[in-house]
Amino acid sequence: MKRSLRTTCAMFVVFAMATMVLGGCASTSTPTSSTTGTTPPASTFKTAMVTDIGGLGDKSFNDLSWAGLEKAKADLAVETKVLSSKSIADYETNLTNLADAGYSPIFAVGFLMTDAVSKIASTTPDTNFGGIDIFFTNPPKNVVGLNFKEQEAGYLAGVAAGLSTKASFDARLNTKNIIGFVGGMPIPPVQRYEAGFVAGAKSVNPTVKVISLYAGKFDDQAKGKELGLSLISQGADVVFAAAGQTGIGTFTACQESKKALFIGVDSDQFLTLTNPGDTILTSAVKRIDVAVFSVVKQAKDGAFPGGQNLSFGLADDGVGIAPYHDFDAKIPQAIKDAVDKAIADIKAGTVTVPETLK
Amino acid sequence: MSETHEAPVVRENLWMKVLRTAGVPLLSVVLAMAIGSIIIAASGKDPVLAFGALLKGAFGSPEQWQIGNFRAFGDTISRATPLAFAGLAIAFGFRANLFNIGANGQLLLGAVTAAFLGLVLGGQPTWVAIPLILIGAALAGAAWAFIPAILKAKVGAHEVITTMMFSWIALYLTSWIISGPLKDAAGNSQTPMLPQAVWLPTMDQLLPAVFRTPVRAHLGFIIAVGLAVLVWWILKKTTLGYGVRAVGFNQWAAQNGGISIAITTVYALCISGALAGLAGASEVLGVQHRMFDEVSAGSGFGFTGIAVALLAKNHPIAVIFSAILFGALSAGAGMMQLTANVPDKIIMIVQALIIFFVGAETVITWFIKRRQKLALEREGDSDVA
Repeated sequence: MKRSLRTTCAMFVVFAMATMVLGGCASTSTPTSSTTGTTPPASTFKTAMVTDIGGLGDKSFNDLSWAGLEKAKADLAVETKVLSSKSIADYETNLTNLADAGYSPIFAVGFLMTDAVSKIASTTPDTNFGGIDIFFTNPPKNVVGLNFKEQEAGYLAGVAAGLSTKASFDARLNTKNIIGFVGGMPIPPVQRYEAGFVAGAKSVNPTVKVISLYAGKFDDQAKGKELGLSLISQGADVVFAAAGQTGIGTFTACQESKKALFIGVDSDQFLTLTNPGDTILTSAVKRIDVAVFSVVKQAKDGAFPGGQNLSFGLADDGVGIAPYHDFDAKIPQAIKDAVDKAIADIKAGTVTVPETLK
Repeated sequence: MSETHEAPVVRENLWMKVLRTAGVPLLSVVLAMAIGSIIIAASGKDPVLAFGALLKGAFGSPEQWQIGNFRAFGDTISRATPLAFAGLAIAFGFRANLFNIGANGQLLLGAVTAAFLGLVLGGQPTWVAIPLILIGAALAGAAWAFIPAILKAKVGAHEVITTMMFSWIALYLTSWIISGPLKDAAGNSQTPMLPQAVWLPTMDQLLPAVFRTPVRAHLGFIIAVGLAVLVWWILKKTTLGYGVRAVGFNQWAAQNGGISIAITTVYALCISGALAGLAGASEVLGVQHRMFDEVSAGSGFGFTGIAVALLAKNHPIAVIFSAILFGALSAGAGMMQLTANVPDKIIMIVQALIIFFVGAETVITWFIKRRQKLALEREGDSDVA
C-alpha cells in the first residue's frame, strides 16, 4: 500500500519534471514562430479597454465595449487590446501598463474605475481615457465620461409593458393591470431605467401599478428569481429587470411560472438567454458599442471629445429597444405603433423622460 | 548533473537543513511555474515571454530602476501589504491550532471602521488621526473575532464554522453600511473619498531620494513588517506566545502544564482578528482611500491570506516574503496579458498549484530524500547510466 503510494508520487514528480523540461523546449521553439507570425503593418493608432471584475463573456457591458473596439478594428484599421481585471487593485495596473505601451484612448468599464482613471489620467496627460458608465466631476482634457440616457430605453420598455398588460395577445397576460421592475442595485443608471419605465408605462396606461424591487446585487440569480416570483405572486404579468446577472434569475422565474412576460436589459437578451423565445417580449438596450466606436472614430480623426461627460440617448442611437423576435407576429400593431411614436417623440424632443422617479 | 555527487557529507547536512525550512515552499513555486509554463505552451503562447513579462510587470526593468522608477515593484508591494496582514492573522491563529477561515469578515469590519473613522477624524492632524484609525480598525477586527472565540472557549463551537458564518454576516453588514448610511453623494455604493490627511503616505512621499516617481506602495507595508517582527517576538519571547504555541502543539499537555485553553483561544483569535482588521484599514487608508461595496467588488484578501500563511508555514517573518510572492504574481499578471496575450486566469492556476504543492509537502520532501538516496547509491555504483 505504502509502496504503491510512493510509486504514484514518484510518477507524479517525474511528470512534473517532464513538464518542466517540456516547458523549456517549448519556450525555446516558440519565440521564432511568434516573431515571424506577428509582423503587423505599423499601425500607429492603438486603442484598448480594461474590463471590470466581470471580465469578457459577461454578455453585457464588457462584451458590448469590446464589440465597439472590434468594430473600430474592422472599420478604422486600428489596433485593439483588452485587459481583464480580477480585483480593484488591477484597475490602476492595467490602465498604467496600457498607457505605457502607447494605447490611447483607453476605455475603463464601470463606475468602480472612476478613481483609477482620474488618477492615471492626471499623471499621463498625453493618453486619452474613456470611462463607460462613469460620470467624472470636472474631467480634464484627456478624459471623457460615456454615459447613457437609460431613462429613454426604460421609457420604451414601459410603453410596451404598459400596453401589453392591458392587452390579451398572450395567455399569461392577466387583467390586474400590474407590471414589475427588478433593479440590481439602487445606483443612478438603474434608477434611470426605473424612472423611464414607470414614466413610459403611465404615459400609455395612467392607472397601471408598477411594483419595483431591488436585489442589492448584480450577480445573484437566486435572488433575481425570488424577486421575480414575488412580483408574479403580486399579480405582475410583465417584468422588466435591470439587474445584470441577477435579472437572468428573474427571467427564469417568468419562464418557469408561465405567468409573466420578461423584458431584458442592456443587450438584446433574446440573443443571450436560453430558450428565450416564448418569454422575452423585448429588451431595453444600451448601445455601449456605438458609444465606444464613436469615441474611437473621433479620436482617430484627431478630435477626442475630452473634458466632458457625454450622454448617449435615442437621438445618437446610444440607447434603444430590441426587436420583438418571436413575439413580432403576436404583438398587436397598436403597441408597435405606440413604441415607434414614443421613439419619434423623444427624438423630436416633444417628450422629455425624467431621470428620477417623480 | 547532481551537485551532491561530490559534496562532502557535512555540507550536505547543512544543505538539507536549509531545504527543510525554505526548500519545500521554493520548490513548490518552481514546480507550479513549470506546470504553468506547460499550460501556457499548450495554449500556443510563449512561456518565456509570458514569465518575462510577469517579472517585468512585478519588479520593473533595470532601465526603469536607473531613473528611480519603481512603479512595478511598488505595485507588487502595494498588493502584498493586505496579504501580509491577512497572512499574519491566519498564521497566528494556526499557531494556536485555530483555523481563522473567516479572516475576511474581520478584514471587512476593519475596513469599514477605518472608512468611518477616516471621515470623522479627517479634520485632525495626520499623526493623531492615523494611529487612532488603525487602533479602531484593529479593535473592530478583534471584536468581530471575539464572538467566535468566546463560543469556541465556552461551548466548543468550531471556529471554522463560526468565523466563516461571521464573515458572511460581515460581508452583508458592510455592504448595507456602504450602500446605506455611508453611501457617497453621487448615490454609488461606495463611501465618500477620505480626506487626504488620513491617507497613508506612499513610499515616494516617505523616501523621495529612492523613489523618484510615484509608487503605490505605502506606509502600510512598513507597518506590516514591523508587526511581523512583533508577532515573531510575541510567539518566541512572551508568556502569551508560549501559551499559544503550547496550546497549538498539544492543548491537553498545555492544560496539564497550567495554561488555560479557553483564555489562550480567546487571545489568539482576537489577535488574529485585530491583524485582519488592520489589513482592511491599510487597504482603505493606503490604496483605495474609500471603501467599495465588497459584495460587488470582492477582493477576498482574507482568503488569499490563508495561502500566504500556508506557504510561509505560519512563520511570521516568512509571511512577508510569501505575501510579496503572491503580490508579484498578481501585479505581473497584467503585463503578462498585455505583452504575451496570456489570460490572467493562468496566474490563478499557478497560485492554486503553489498551494497544492505546499500541501503536498510530504511528496516533495520524499522526492528530495529519494534523490539524495539515489545520488548516494550512484556514488557506490558509478556505472549507472
